[in-house]
Amino acid sequence: MSTFTISIDGRTVELEPGQTILAGARRLGIDIPTLCYLEKCGPLNSCQVCLVKVGGPGPGRLVPSCGTKAVPGMVVESETTEVHEARRTALELLFSDHVGDCLSPCNRLCPLGLNIAVMIRQLEAGRLNQAIVTIREALPLPGVLGRLCHHPCEQGCRRGNWDDPAGIRDMERFVTDENFKEANPWVPICAAPTGKSVAIVGAGPAGLAAAVSLARQGHAVTVVDRRARAGGSLRDVPEATLSADVLDREIAVLEKMGIAFKLGMALGPELTIEGLLLGFAAVLLTVGELAAGEGAGLGVALTGAAIKADPNTCRTSIPAVFAAGSAVKPAKQIVRAMADGQAAAVCVHRFLLDKPVQRPEKPFSSIMGRLDPGELRKFLQTASSVGRVSPCDRCAGLSRREAVTEAARCLHCDCGSSGNCLLQHYAQAYGADASRFKSERRSFEQFVQPGGIIFEPGKCIVCGICVRLTELAREPLGLTFIGRGFDVRVATPFNRTILAGLQQVAAECVEHCPTGALVFSDKLTAAPVDASSPVPVA
Amino acid sequence: MPVDLQFAETTVARFGRQPESLIPILQELQVHYGYLPQEAMERVCELSEITPAAAAGVATFYDMFRHKPAGKNIIRVCRGTACHVAGVGRVEEALRRDLHIPADGDTDPEGKYTIEPVACLGCCTLAPVMRVGDATFGHATSETAPETVLEHIASLSARTAAPSTEGRHTHVAGPVAEIHVGLGSCCMAKGSDLLFHALQESAAACGGSIQVKRVGCVGMCHRTPMVEVTVPGKPDAFYADLTPGQARALVERHFKPHGLLHRAGALWTRTLDSLLSENPSPERQIAGYSMSRRDPGVRAFLDKQKHIATEHFGRLDPLDLDEYLAHDGFVALRKCLHPAPVPKDALDPAQLIGVMEASGLRGRGGAGFPTGQKWRVVRGHVGEVKYAICNGDEGDPGAFMDRMILESFPFRVIEGLAIAAVAIGAHEGIFYIRHEYPLAVQRVRAAIKDLEERGWLGDKLLGSDYALRLSVMEGAGAFVCGEETALIASVEGRRGMPRLRPPFPAESGLWGKPTLINNVETLAQVPWIVRNGAPAFAAIGTAKSKGTKVFALAGKIRRSGLIEIPMGTTIREIIEEIGGGAVEGHRFKAVQIGGPSGGCVPARLADTPVDYESLREVGAIMGSGGMVVLDDTTCMVDIARYFLEFTQNQSCGKCTFCRIGTKRMLDILTRLCAGKATRAHVEELERLAHQVGAGSLCGLGKTAPNPVLSTLRYFRDEYEAHVAGRCPAGKCSALIKYSVTADCTGCTICAQRCPVAAIPMTPYARHTINLDLCTRCDTCRKVCPEDAIEVN
Repeated sequence: MSTFTISIDGRTVELEPGQTILAGARRLGIDIPTLCYLEKCGPLNSCQVCLVKVGGPGPGRLVPSCGTKAVPGMVVESETTEVHEARRTALELLFSDHVGDCLSPCNRLCPLGLNIAVMIRQLEAGRLNQAIVTIREALPLPGVLGRLCHHPCEQGCRRGNWDDPAGIRDMERFVTDENFKEANPWVPICAAPTGKSVAIVGAGPAGLAAAVSLARQGHAVTVVDRRARAGGSLRDVPEATLSADVLDREIAVLEKMGIAFKLGMALGPELTIEGLLLGFAAVLLTVGELAAGEGAGLGVALTGAAIKADPNTCRTSIPAVFAAGSAVKPAKQIVRAMADGQAAAVCVHRFLLDKPVQRPEKPFSSIMGRLDPGELRKFLQTASSVGRVSPCDRCAGLSRREAVTEAARCLHCDCGSSGNCLLQHYAQAYGADASRFKSERRSFEQFVQPGGIIFEPGKCIVCGICVRLTELAREPLGLTFIGRGFDVRVATPFNRTILAGLQQVAAECVEHCPTGALVFSDKLTAAPVDASSPVPVA
Repeated sequence: MPVDLQFAETTVARFGRQPESLIPILQELQVHYGYLPQEAMERVCELSEITPAAAAGVATFYDMFRHKPAGKNIIRVCRGTACHVAGVGRVEEALRRDLHIPADGDTDPEGKYTIEPVACLGCCTLAPVMRVGDATFGHATSETAPETVLEHIASLSARTAAPSTEGRHTHVAGPVAEIHVGLGSCCMAKGSDLLFHALQESAAACGGSIQVKRVGCVGMCHRTPMVEVTVPGKPDAFYADLTPGQARALVERHFKPHGLLHRAGALWTRTLDSLLSENPSPERQIAGYSMSRRDPGVRAFLDKQKHIATEHFGRLDPLDLDEYLAHDGFVALRKCLHPAPVPKDALDPAQLIGVMEASGLRGRGGAGFPTGQKWRVVRGHVGEVKYAICNGDEGDPGAFMDRMILESFPFRVIEGLAIAAVAIGAHEGIFYIRHEYPLAVQRVRAAIKDLEERGWLGDKLLGSDYALRLSVMEGAGAFVCGEETALIASVEGRRGMPRLRPPFPAESGLWGKPTLINNVETLAQVPWIVRNGAPAFAAIGTAKSKGTKVFALAGKIRRSGLIEIPMGTTIREIIEEIGGGAVEGHRFKAVQIGGPSGGCVPARLADTPVDYESLREVGAIMGSGGMVVLDDTTCMVDIARYFLEFTQNQSCGKCTFCRIGTKRMLDILTRLCAGKATRAHVEELERLAHQVGAGSLCGLGKTAPNPVLSTLRYFRDEYEAHVAGRCPAGKCSALIKYSVTADCTGCTICAQRCPVAAIPMTPYARHTINLDLCTRCDTCRKVCPEDAIEVN
């Protein structure tokens, strides 16, 4: 038989006999999610997230695309609401039996999404030059936040369920301050210039955060403020709490990023929004909390005293004009104002690229919930048992030794596979709700193997790839499915350790595990790719 | 204690070193050691090509394998549908309580008793059923079950077991008086084997040539043990519900003792009996058990039936090959073979397949795929090696047709499989029979052996030049192995996990070869069709569903049993006429058809005819033929929960939708039964049910939501009542309360019998129930002579 064609979502693709629907979709560049598919293993048809709808007479049926061979004239639907809903449900079902947090609770609670566990591992390993990159990846003014943040991260720290939460803010300050001692403090790298320019009115926390975000995307950013120095309300903080020096050197980093500051200028008859729009492709208003009547002259619609902005798009009543921060909704916490500025920056960025304007989605994470004391003890096995180290009142933050001691207290309760996990990736892409099905969860288990493999059976989705790989490699013991139905687990036969079953193909199994069930422990110290980085959304 | 590995070694030597010997080897180890010691399994792996991964995977997949030693006595409690609605849960509770088996274990601390749930023992008409060792007990109650178990165990040590009825029986040819005793496994559970031996003794004592004959299932399970007396020249006489003690009276009623000595002896004992008892003479008494085919109940039960798969039911000794031959046995197969002389009406395979297609026969295992078409596809695939498999893995709880057919008509099913093999060109046939049906396995094996001894199997099928070898493989306890691709995996010695179809087994089946898999009942109908012709079969039934269908009728019904009816018979005719309607004082509410893949058809749709399409339209499926009647005491939410628990428990665990989806559906149903669900939960249940149905890989998962969807469709009010915290049927124990009404006379019986001391003894005063202690076991309500216990 020679080649033939099938249609997927109305597009025609030519296939060889014996090829699957998945092969056709990939040829068309359609990203059908797969978890259990590895070419070498052949179709295992266990995860069922690669479902597509095959038409024909009757209502059509859902089939796994990885194992279904295409036949001439087949009509396939992939990117439709119905198919996506089925795939999403498969993902949500997997999460309902997935014991683990993709992101540590501190990371999830940080309004700016700092990957705290990674930062702490870098600090503990003495790689401060990496730690500052991790910090500046998420935080616009870490020197400020290291002193003023109300650290919601520490409220969620699992270590706090044992003794005291890790001193996250102190460690963050330590890393930042140490970096400023360097001859050339780290300056975040900006993307190639886009040729687009943005004016940000207001150099407070929200405006500066937005400026950093937009500059990193390659846009030309100009910050306008009525005060003589950038910082907005941060300039009102008592010197003892936040010295002007600290703020100045943070602003200096922003200037090095290419952000221009026009200070001592306020919106008014001379500087109008219309005027700004003549020179800039977009304007972001982060003018801070407005007193009654103060906003009347701005020319944008108001709600009460505040600027009226769409909560989903940050757009004001004037096209190309956005607003964020306390000017829209008074924020008590600096970190929240910054997060709002950052979100508005994403909206502006999308606007500038002619993409649908929307606030960024929250990074997806599976959520394990409360740990019982036994589970907590498993995490404590790899952490230091000493109590929390806090800097004395007169000290300027933690000493190096104190910082490392404090870092060793981290339980590393994030997932070693986060950012590298297919399950997490597709959950984000499909907007899966990890807690759609509430139920009693399995107990958290972790087996740290000599030689560096960590096996967490609760994260296993029983895809069967590792079982098949051991079979193909004729491992003397190998891995197998134990039990049946909901209780089926992957394990080594005869209650032996996972390592005993993986004498030849350990690396291969870890590499191809679609979740974090099998990871190398040294993977934990590497900086994972940011989970919220853009993913191909269908 | 070190495990003696000698047995493991000899077992490998016996079954061979190849990977597919794994399941039979493990079965032997299980029987020998009582569980699977790890040392023994490791030894097996060392000695054979079986890998540790395969051994550990298979050993933990199938239900029959234990991994810890069991107690001295194993009590198997049936969890089938009929047993569930008859309250087996309370029986199990009582057994656990009285035998001191902890809630989180299966064996008592002294290691005397192990309780094992079984998906279905296939004795649904005797529900609730338990099996102690080899003995089956029907109609168990929470009050009597523990005592029955203990008595039986005591009697086992006191005397030797009853002689088997399974030997080869020799029958005298020619006109002779016969006493037929039904010896199916459910008849035996009601003591027909004991009656059989008693009748043999009495007949021998009587002298003369009376033949006491074992026959297959009679179908009228509600009247077992049943006996038929045939005397040449006289009308046949039937007796029902007999006990072994009545054997002598029965024999004497029909046969005058031969010889002076016998007659005198009989007269003397009779006189003595009448002196000693106030009862009427045994002969008069036995007349009370007599029944006739003309009795309205019997006629209602039998008249609507048409026996094809069960032809000559209740007449044939299952293992008497000559008798089978005398009743047209192997006539059909002979037509399909070409031994000299070639029969006039011989059929070549193409013609044979044509006959099957014209007959309109569709698979009786559930899905209803046209049998002739299936044969044609397998025949169309060229290949030296092909396989024909008889699917006897009847796993639907509430269904036992295939067990009965295999037990009663083993030669007929063999003939059907042989015809199928000839049609497709297979030279190897396999019976895959679930191990929970020991008698069926035993009889099929005996029948195959008999045929081999005559030289009719092997190189020369029925003396022709066609080679056909048959073997029997016992399942190891996994419902999913009824699915074709899972069954094949199991035969190959692997975990019974289905794979994606296509390719269908017809193209790539056992060992990758073209394979035909037909259900037991389908094959049992084949010889009749070949003998009587396609038009005769196609004349029965409806436009798209031809012929007859065997149903296991059980549950809350007056006349339960095994029936074979023409397609198109309505549910009402089956339940009200054949089955005699709901039990006295109750209302027929719905009928569950098709087991875990089927649905509940409400009473108002009882005029639905039984055919594949009509049943599908009302949300059920034909399934394999289990029909469990539900009445007003059955909670429909509980029934849905029951089935989801079953499928969840039997899911192979491969695909996400079935493995986790059915579990999440069960979570919601459990919440509902506990009164902890909201309306949103019901909506999620329905949504998920559709998604599990659409997204699962195999038929088990795809049909698992049907019991939920059909009860939501017809009994949504019951779901809503549960959301509101009420169980209208008074079944869900978390939602019901027991109380004592003013009718209480203070007799203290309830207080004495309450197993958890929740009723303080207050003589001559109205009793009260401590609801914190009460387990809702229902004992007080059952024992109260004044009907003074109220449930609400």
